[in-house]
Amino acid sequence: MTAAIELRGVTKVYRKYSDTTGSGILGRLRTRTRTSELVALDAVDLRVEPGESLGVIGRNGAGKSTLLQLLGGVTAPTSGSVEVRGRVAPLISVGVGFHPEMTGRENVHVNGTILGMTKAEVDGKLDRIVAFAELEQFIDTPVKFYSSGMFVRLGFAVAVEARPDVLLVDEVLAVGDFSFALRCFERMNEIRRAGTTIVVVSHNMGAIRGFCDRSLVLDHGRVVHDGSTFDAIAAYVDLASRDAADPAEKGDGVVVESFDIHDEHGRHASHVRYGDEVSFRLRVRALRDVATPFQWLGIETGAGAVVYSDARFDIPQPALQAGQRVTFEARLVVRLPTGDYSAAAALHDLLDMPRSRLLATAPRLSFYVTGRDTVHGAADLDASFGVRDRVV
Amino acid sequence: MTAPAPGFCLTGPSTPVAGLLREVWASRRLVGVLARKDFLVRYRRTRLGLIWAVAVPLVQAAVLAVVFSSVLPQVTTSSGSGRLGSYAVFVLSGMVPWAFVSGALPAASTSIADSANLAQRIYFPRLVLPLVAVVTACYPLLATLAVFLPVALVLGPGVQPELLWVLPGSALAVLLVLGLSLLLSAAQVYLRDLRFVVSAGLTVLFYLTPVIYPLQRAPQVVHDLIRVLPVSGPVELFHRSVGAADPLMWRSVLASVVWITVFGAAGLVLHSRRDRVLADLL
Repeated sequence: MTAAIELRGVTKVYRKYSDTTGSGILGRLRTRTRTSELVALDAVDLRVEPGESLGVIGRNGAGKSTLLQLLGGVTAPTSGSVEVRGRVAPLISVGVGFHPEMTGRENVHVNGTILGMTKAEVDGKLDRIVAFAELEQFIDTPVKFYSSGMFVRLGFAVAVEARPDVLLVDEVLAVGDFSFALRCFERMNEIRRAGTTIVVVSHNMGAIRGFCDRSLVLDHGRVVHDGSTFDAIAAYVDLASRDAADPAEKGDGVVVESFDIHDEHGRHASHVRYGDEVSFRLRVRALRDVATPFQWLGIETGAGAVVYSDARFDIPQPALQAGQRVTFEARLVVRLPTGDYSAAAALHDLLDMPRSRLLATAPRLSFYVTGRDTVHGAADLDASFGVRDRVV
Repeated sequence: MTAPAPGFCLTGPSTPVAGLLREVWASRRLVGVLARKDFLVRYRRTRLGLIWAVAVPLVQAAVLAVVFSSVLPQVTTSSGSGRLGSYAVFVLSGMVPWAFVSGALPAASTSIADSANLAQRIYFPRLVLPLVAVVTACYPLLATLAVFLPVALVLGPGVQPELLWVLPGSALAVLLVLGLSLLLSAAQVYLRDLRFVVSAGLTVLFYLTPVIYPLQRAPQVVHDLIRVLPVSGPVELFHRSVGAADPLMWRSVLASVVWITVFGAAGLVLHSRRDRVLADLL
């Protein structure tokens, strides 16, 4: 079968211009603009079959947007070749080309044409587009009166109805409301079964995991992982936590040797299933005697919201002696909504309360929780749902 | 209508000129739709709509006619009979193509840079953007023509076949803006100063081109220089339609054709070399 997308040794270098340094008018004209080069993608090979859905994850600046631009044909590779078969439609920041003064209907015509639809196609599909976007009452209203959700819905509906052979999705489904996002994925699955290849770039691991069988992890313009989405997320979390391991806050008297998560089988796990019992292990070496050490554990969401923070000074641990290596652990059952999190740990010395002294802080550790895609929000309260009463 | 060959294989920034032109042809409906959009949007919230497209050059022409015929009567009276009415028609005939060029050229020259939002996200030949700007500017051109013709009939020489000169005149003006902007729109991405060069250049050209005075009133030594200015061709063709052209106007027309060819060819080459990477610099 011929691939829908094929990249061979693709490298993309951007020239960044910096200000001219010449002084005076003549100097300005004579001084050549100095440039520095930025390698956005470095020797990327990729083959995607028709009907596949590929997730692309990576930190900011990893090259995700450049990859999407190359797939959309908006830019050309500096070396290597990019081959895309069929019509490409980007769902990149939905509503590009929408003009606020024009009505929804007019914008559908313009946007549909930009995406390569003929007038007859747009006319024929207008009803479906409007129905999917749930904008029946507002389709003749200028879009400047639309909410951001309405904007996204209309843009999505047009892009999907353009029936592209390759659909490029960039971080857009985060804007719509939850039920609309579900319908979008449903719709994307439909067109995928009909043969459309879909490439999704997102920071939302839940979305990627729910939709893509295969994912690519980019780091500094290179593909560091290409395989199952499950493994890709683990690889990404691994990267992110290594990155966060900036020099740990200097403590005093204790050196952190490692901080990681172990699952029930005792393995390191950066990918945790909902309901698993895990242990956060902090291994330290004492440089001097510590009489009353106690632990602190903190967990934040990927976005930085504190989920849990607990300093158990009420449970002092056994004293440390100089030169001793000790592994502290904090066990817990993971009841967290699907998503990415980070954990931090520290060891303090309980001198006489309320005075305590920080001994050491472990580098922040990223991990990913899956298994309960239905739960959203700050905490999983694990409600049990059922019927209480039934009146016949 | 045949669909464009779906898909692409890119190994570098350049596209062969023939391939680029095929893609532009395949995008012709996009040009129409975008031009119609730009045109509608420009006048949508105004009460008088397209009337402004006519009113602005009309007011300019009227002011110029009055000012110049009272301040510099010696410059203006040699056109036709010397009456204010015929001078007004002369000025108006010059102002129609001039208003088109001076309105369309700045917009077309910056069309690619101004469409960064769209161009960075979806591919179509970048050449489409100056085309859209030129087509958009044709709406007000048609409107000004619709006003100019009756005025020429009433104040000017009356019904005569010469009026038909406005057709090649308009075509030449459209081609001129198209040719110049093919090069300028792509070059402007690299050299943002061009925006101001165009703006300053138009100001100078307005007085050098025989828009508001007959060429014969300029000093003899500069006649041939004036004749080879880019906008002289269309302007002289319009003057011809009211019977007030420079006898050697064909030199001007030829010069305009040369400008169009040189800028158009250079523009095509630049577009074909850089089409796929112009968006990188936006």
